[in-house]
Amino acid sequence: MSGVLKAEKLGKWYGNVLGLSDVTIEIGPGITGLLGPNGAGKSTFMKLLTGQLRPSIGAIAVDGLPVWNNTDLFRRIGFCPEQDAFFEDTTGREFLTGLLRLSGFADAEARERAARALAFVELVEAQDRLIRGYSRGMRQRLKIAQAIAHEPEILILDEPLNGLDPLSKRKVIRLIKEYRTEGRTVIVSSHVLPEIEALTQTIVLIHQGKILAQGDIHYIRDLIDAHPHVVAVRSSEPRRLGALLVGDSAVQSISYGPAENLVTFATRQRDRLFGLLPKVVAENGLDLEEITSPDDNLQAVFDYLVGK
Amino acid sequence: MPIAEQGYTHWEGRLDTHRKPWRPIARLGIRLAFRRKFFKFVLGMAFLPALIFSAGVYISERIDDFREMIRNADRFLNINPDFFKAYYTADYLLFWMLIIMVLAGAGLIADDLRHNALQLYFARPMRKRDYLQGKLFTLSFFLLLLTLVPGLLFIVLKLIFSGSFKLLADYPWLPFSIAGWSFVAAGFFSLYTLALSSLSRNRRYASILLIAVYFLSDIFFGIFFGIFRDPTFALLSIKSNLQQVAAALLGAKPPFAVPWGYSAAVLAALAVAAGWILNRKVKGTEVIK
Amino acid sequence: MADGSIARVFVFYARLVRRAKRTKVFAVLCLLPVLLALILRASALASPDRGFDGLAIFGNIIIAFGLQFLVLILALFYGTSVVSEEVEGKTLTYITTRPLPKRAVILGKYAAYVLVLLILVLGSILAAFFILNADRLDYGPAWSFLGKSLAALSLGVVCYTAFFTLVGTFLKKSVLFGFFFGFGWENIVQYFPGSTQKFTIMHYLKSLLPGVGDTGGGVLSFLMFRLEPSPAGTAVATLLALTAVFLGLACWVFARKEYLFDEG
Repeated sequence: MSGVLKAEKLGKWYGNVLGLSDVTIEIGPGITGLLGPNGAGKSTFMKLLTGQLRPSIGAIAVDGLPVWNNTDLFRRIGFCPEQDAFFEDTTGREFLTGLLRLSGFADAEARERAARALAFVELVEAQDRLIRGYSRGMRQRLKIAQAIAHEPEILILDEPLNGLDPLSKRKVIRLIKEYRTEGRTVIVSSHVLPEIEALTQTIVLIHQGKILAQGDIHYIRDLIDAHPHVVAVRSSEPRRLGALLVGDSAVQSISYGPAENLVTFATRQRDRLFGLLPKVVAENGLDLEEITSPDDNLQAVFDYLVGK
Repeated sequence: MPIAEQGYTHWEGRLDTHRKPWRPIARLGIRLAFRRKFFKFVLGMAFLPALIFSAGVYISERIDDFREMIRNADRFLNINPDFFKAYYTADYLLFWMLIIMVLAGAGLIADDLRHNALQLYFARPMRKRDYLQGKLFTLSFFLLLLTLVPGLLFIVLKLIFSGSFKLLADYPWLPFSIAGWSFVAAGFFSLYTLALSSLSRNRRYASILLIAVYFLSDIFFGIFFGIFRDPTFALLSIKSNLQQVAAALLGAKPPFAVPWGYSAAVLAALAVAAGWILNRKVKGTEVIK
Repeated sequence: MADGSIARVFVFYARLVRRAKRTKVFAVLCLLPVLLALILRASALASPDRGFDGLAIFGNIIIAFGLQFLVLILALFYGTSVVSEEVEGKTLTYITTRPLPKRAVILGKYAAYVLVLLILVLGSILAAFFILNADRLDYGPAWSFLGKSLAALSLGVVCYTAFFTLVGTFLKKSVLFGFFFGFGWENIVQYFPGSTQKFTIMHYLKSLLPGVGDTGGGVLSFLMFRLEPSPAGTAVATLLALTAVFLGLACWVFARKEYLFDEG
């Protein structure tokens, strides 16, 4: 058994709303990031992958076995859903132990596995508190714990970093990377590029229900870098600021307006420009009212990639 | 650099005395209720008695034409306080009002508790009473649609069809009684519904409680009255108490030989208990032990 | 399902429902027949010349209350909860991503809820019986009376919960539909003459009740009004068959339906 997930011309719609269209993809061992803006179809794909939804058309299989209504597969699949929902009146330990017993483990083994999973996600101290009293980060880690407690060879995580503070994000990213040992397949979805970058090199881009691209993340990064970024600065002396920066290699072009105090820089070296800007402002006694990067979001990247 | 507390905090600023913050809550509640198709159907069904009684008002002015059809139905065709009592105390109307309360009211507070929305409400310049007023108005709006509007409509129709003000001359207090009873019924049912809705985060559970408490009170009355044959046991039943007060306010004969003041006192006590529950349950923060 | 999946689900939910706050609330509701019995008994003791037939009171009142209200309301809530609770609470995902046949989820959870309901309802009815008949526990027919009443209530719990479980698998407004069915259809059509009343579950339950057709003009003989009882054996078989059909359909629907969570 190799833990290979395969979708063949997979499509899903909800009434007249298209969730996923003509998705053909194969995902093997290792960590694969599923990247797309909100509403792209990531969760729909995850739910099809875990048998929560039935394909409208096409097929989805794990090692050649169809997923829908094939609950035996869940001995080998662990799923961390997106929604924040639990049996609130149970403790973390009871929640995990109960689900492990449901999976068929004997009492003693269920308790042992639950303890290991709780230790893995660093929830041992809170294991006997009611889930109702857990923080957002603890709840997210508990969700991951229930997905890994039975040590599945395929782990599917739907937006596991949503709503977490930076410290908790680092913790969860570390946990996911630790979980990926030889032969295991991990699929993680997110709408935040740096989060996926921190986890894996292999990504699948999904946009408006279709697979846009699949491959190494450096390819995406190069595409992003090839596309000039726009940085808008509001200052009382926009023309003086523009004159001070126009000679630098980071600045590709400058435009002024429409507002009186607005200057817009186009750059292919965003990080260099952001490093330069405060230095120039401080050295020359200028004032800055606002800096925005209107296209600094995944949607803009995707719009660029689809040629908008 | 000191780091300020970033959590939700209660509004400590000055409150404008001319605000009506309950209005957006009420508007939203009403709009959400109307979005549900099934709710429109239920509201339509609840208006059936009003339609039938309106027809009765018309027929009352054309008795001769309809004489054959309405033999033995005089009770419904004399437009007097008994006519209005018959409408307001009809089991059918009360049944559909209960359905409206379940559909439009069971989740009014339960859903806010489930989604932790109370914090969002009270982080705005809004007092608990504004929140509760908004919710009460939402449900009262629908209940008044079924009580106040049809009652006043019957009077208007009678005046139009009869071409005279005889009805008002004979019973000048009738419009005020109708308004009084409508507000009593809407207010009581709204408090009752909101109190039970505040007891749970689960709308389904709140719906069951609404139905259970209402029917249970009536069943208990039936059981005790069946054994002891004492009409005083009518005080156990929410429905019977409402019928007593309705009859008294409309100047008609109450259905049970019990002073209607006792029924009013029971309803008032239940309303106070509901208010107490709401005051305890509606809070901006929840302490989890 | 020889792998014990139904049993696993049963144990999981039995543990959950035992500690749920609403179980405690419904337990209090189930104490009402006991309270009623205590009040009536106390009233009888206060007025000994009035005449007190504990068995008649038990049969007419407790059963009427138990069958036509308590069982209905509890079955409505717990039956619809089998699926609706998981969908509303968005916990369905945790259950359907376990190696469990979907029918095991329905059957195991149903069984756990039925067990809790039987304990609550039968416990309170038993207590009410003892309170009302403390002075004639050596009267043989009283025990057979009790046995038939408990059988009717048990089958009521089993059959109604199965029906509402089915309703909960495919209807969003399952409580409202259940309410119309339980307190509308069942309460009205059971009094229709002829075969029409056979289209209610209540008809078969009442056919099992003691003293059917032999009410002797009891104060709440309306309970038997227009009842044309089916033979007891037919009634039991029909109720069990209906339960099997409802549960079978519920399993079938649950295995095929997609449940979408409200994103709001």
